[in-house]
Amino acid sequence: MMSLEILLIIAFGGALLTYALGKISHRLRDSFAVIISLALVVIIACLYGKSLEKTFYFGFLGLGLVLRLNMLSWLFAITIAVVGTLSIIFSLSYIKGREKTSFYFLEMALVNAAMLGIVLAGDLLSFYIFWEIMSWSAFLLISYNKGPALAAGMKYIIMSIIGSVCFLVGMLSLYVSFDTLNISQIASAVTSASSGYILFILIAFSIAFGIKNAVLPFHTWLPDAHSEAPAPFSAVLSGILIKMGTYGFLLILYVIVGLKLFLGLGSGIFSFHSVLCLLGAVTIIIPTFIAMLQTDAKRLLAWSTVGQAGYIILGIAFGTNLALAAGLFHFFNHALFKALLFLAIGAVEFRAQTRDLDSLGGLAKKMPVVFIATLVGICALIGVPLTNGFVSKWLIYKSLILEGSPFLAFFALVGTWGAILYSYKLIHNIFLGQLPEKYRDIQKSPLSMQLPMIVLSLAILLFGILPGIPLKVINAIGISFGFESLNVTLWGVTSETGALNTINIFSAVLAAGIIVWIIFRLGAKSVSVAQDDSYAAGAYTPKDKYHYTVEFYNPLYRMIKPFLRDVIDGFYYWIASSVQKLSNSVRRVYAGDVGYYVMYIILFLALLIFVQLKWKPW
Amino acid sequence: MVIKVIQIILSPVLALVVGVFFLGLARKIMARIHWRYGPPLIQPVIDMIRLFYQKSVSHGRMFDLGIVLSLAGSIVVILFLPFGQMCPLSSSGGLLVILYIMLLAPLGLALSAGQGANPNISIGISRKLILSLGYEVPLLLVLLAVMTHYKTISIVEVVNVQQSTGWSIIYWPLFLPGISYFLILPAILGIRPFDVSSAPQEISSGPMVEYGGKYLALATIEHAFVLFISIALFVNLFLAGAANPIIFFAKMLVVFVLVLCVNAVFPRFRIEQAIKYLWKWPTLLAFVGLIITLIVK
Repeated sequence: MMSLEILLIIAFGGALLTYALGKISHRLRDSFAVIISLALVVIIACLYGKSLEKTFYFGFLGLGLVLRLNMLSWLFAITIAVVGTLSIIFSLSYIKGREKTSFYFLEMALVNAAMLGIVLAGDLLSFYIFWEIMSWSAFLLISYNKGPALAAGMKYIIMSIIGSVCFLVGMLSLYVSFDTLNISQIASAVTSASSGYILFILIAFSIAFGIKNAVLPFHTWLPDAHSEAPAPFSAVLSGILIKMGTYGFLLILYVIVGLKLFLGLGSGIFSFHSVLCLLGAVTIIIPTFIAMLQTDAKRLLAWSTVGQAGYIILGIAFGTNLALAAGLFHFFNHALFKALLFLAIGAVEFRAQTRDLDSLGGLAKKMPVVFIATLVGICALIGVPLTNGFVSKWLIYKSLILEGSPFLAFFALVGTWGAILYSYKLIHNIFLGQLPEKYRDIQKSPLSMQLPMIVLSLAILLFGILPGIPLKVINAIGISFGFESLNVTLWGVTSETGALNTINIFSAVLAAGIIVWIIFRLGAKSVSVAQDDSYAAGAYTPKDKYHYTVEFYNPLYRMIKPFLRDVIDGFYYWIASSVQKLSNSVRRVYAGDVGYYVMYIILFLALLIFVQLKWKPW
Repeated sequence: MVIKVIQIILSPVLALVVGVFFLGLARKIMARIHWRYGPPLIQPVIDMIRLFYQKSVSHGRMFDLGIVLSLAGSIVVILFLPFGQMCPLSSSGGLLVILYIMLLAPLGLALSAGQGANPNISIGISRKLILSLGYEVPLLLVLLAVMTHYKTISIVEVVNVQQSTGWSIIYWPLFLPGISYFLILPAILGIRPFDVSSAPQEISSGPMVEYGGKYLALATIEHAFVLFISIALFVNLFLAGAANPIIFFAKMLVVFVLVLCVNAVFPRFRIEQAIKYLWKWPTLLAFVGLIITLIVK
């Protein structure tokens, strides 16, 4: 019987021990880091289906620090452990030869441990402690590359702190009102609270979690942070770290406030629930269009992350059993495919030393594994059938359409069609087209980079063909929130209003593919030709890069650019610079010259004497 | 069970025959509108057989696999599409699944052509994707209007309800979405005035430029399937499908000839003009239609 505090001790102790071992031998440290993270995966997998709650420490201000495990935290914990492990394996060769590698591994392990702590926390205080450990470790990792990464990290941590302050306000207010921070006790006490108070709590926590989850208008830290962080950490950041916001939303909306109170807050479009849905929809649509215009591969993926997080929020906020299942399933899928895509881009960057979409090209033949991984990743991102992304998006659309919200469904669908544009740009500009001369001798990725990508690709296909496996867990979570049970089968979801059956699609695609392949083979044989042997209407074809990638969607770009100025970011920068100006003028007071300070003291005393003589208050 | 298997085998074959017939017919009708005589009706078949046995060039593994995936995707869509009372795989997710499997075909083609390393291809695909974003906006609104109105995501049910209550296009709340679908049909089919992505005179047929021999033959079959699918979807959603395949194909023929007339007389849009048009009138009509269906409900 494994208890939860031992799990956390292994996670945190392992992190610190990794750092210590790094002082002795790098090889030892690497294998230890991998073993610890694998051990966490195994332990969490063994805890499947258990429900535990334990107070492990009492002394802190007389408050109990509680750890608890249920289906919701198990789903998040296993995702954290798996993605964390894969990114640590990927890091082994990615980070080799850089400076401060032990520090890097310490922070990676610490972020994972802190996230495990967050999802296992049974009271808000320990939640907050782990939350802060996560935020600060993430800050250090984002800034790891120095240069522009420092600014990105600064932006992230400032927004994070604002979120933490909101969290603190909400938490203290709950403590004052209910005299406890234990989540289950708050949940039972909150039913008697007034709706105004609940709204206040929801808004405070929504800002805190919205910043982490990069919901518009709190998304501005994300593109910088994701593109500047080291690639394996970008995978963690995009795959799971921002999903801690999702977990927070689930916690506050469904566990603490509860389904009935949440849906009953306000009326019509002015209810909290519809405002949150609308935010989710806007979060899908705008970043999708911005992503199309990016030229940095990781920045493109970062904007795509903002957009995909919108689906999750929309699913969770919509508040029906199908939509919640869709949101949760999309969280899980996004963790897999976005981690995969960031790792793949990392592998390209590792070899080509650039991730500029304008200068790469033709790498498919040189890096076949990375190419296939990216292909699987973008298929899941678009939601092509037989990948896991399809199932979750199908569930979202279905619930939105049948519950009579076609406009929300429209936003979600257009977001997907936009995703096709930027995904194709990503894969085309890196892997297809002509191989530039300078990449002719480019090496394959090392095995430790290929392995995580292969695992993630297989998982995406497995859960796309057999979506019932994760949906069973998700269904259990829905039931614990008070929803009706879904009719989950191994192949999909059945209901009176239209079933999904992936096995039909799978066998049809397979059979059709085989038949077409046979017909294709029956035709006259084709000759393989060099890349420069292409039709150019008789003109000379240059040896070097000769295909069109720069400003790939130029006509569209010209049309939509005027509408896509990042007003929000500009606004935040305006606030920041105003605060800076104000602080600067305040700073002038402290001139650093003793004479001035003496003058201040004398003036102050003179003021006091004047006040005393005039009004005699003392 | 046996009937189901026969249907599964028969429906792609029927679709292929009809699609290829449409290709031949298109050349004939276009020629007549232009005061020419035109090639015989079976010219596309002759071309395909000839191409199939001709030598061709390949630019790599993805170049081969992409085109196979594309064609396989189209065949699967046809299995999900009811025509006449035939629908082999109707019970697996409805319209949303069709919408998504319809992605496989262009995606496969784009991946295959993308490996061709020719600027004409990249320009063609870039235009095709922008154009598809252009017509998907009104198309999705139209489909949402239909699904909201009939409160189902199953296309079979949409057809069945129309069989008893009459065509949706003459039922007033769905009149505007129906018109909108017809307006964007040339864009979905990629014919004039929306043939920006294949523009033969500008970019040497865009994505098709590196295809020869069997690749071109398969791409032509793929084109025939796309023709079939887009028009069949319109007939199913707005013209009440049909009780048997013969009437179904007759309805398709009428729609196709109407679209051809548009194709024959209009010059090509530039891509910006195409997007501006698509996001203006068809989108507006579909949007108003969706609001009406919401109110009437």
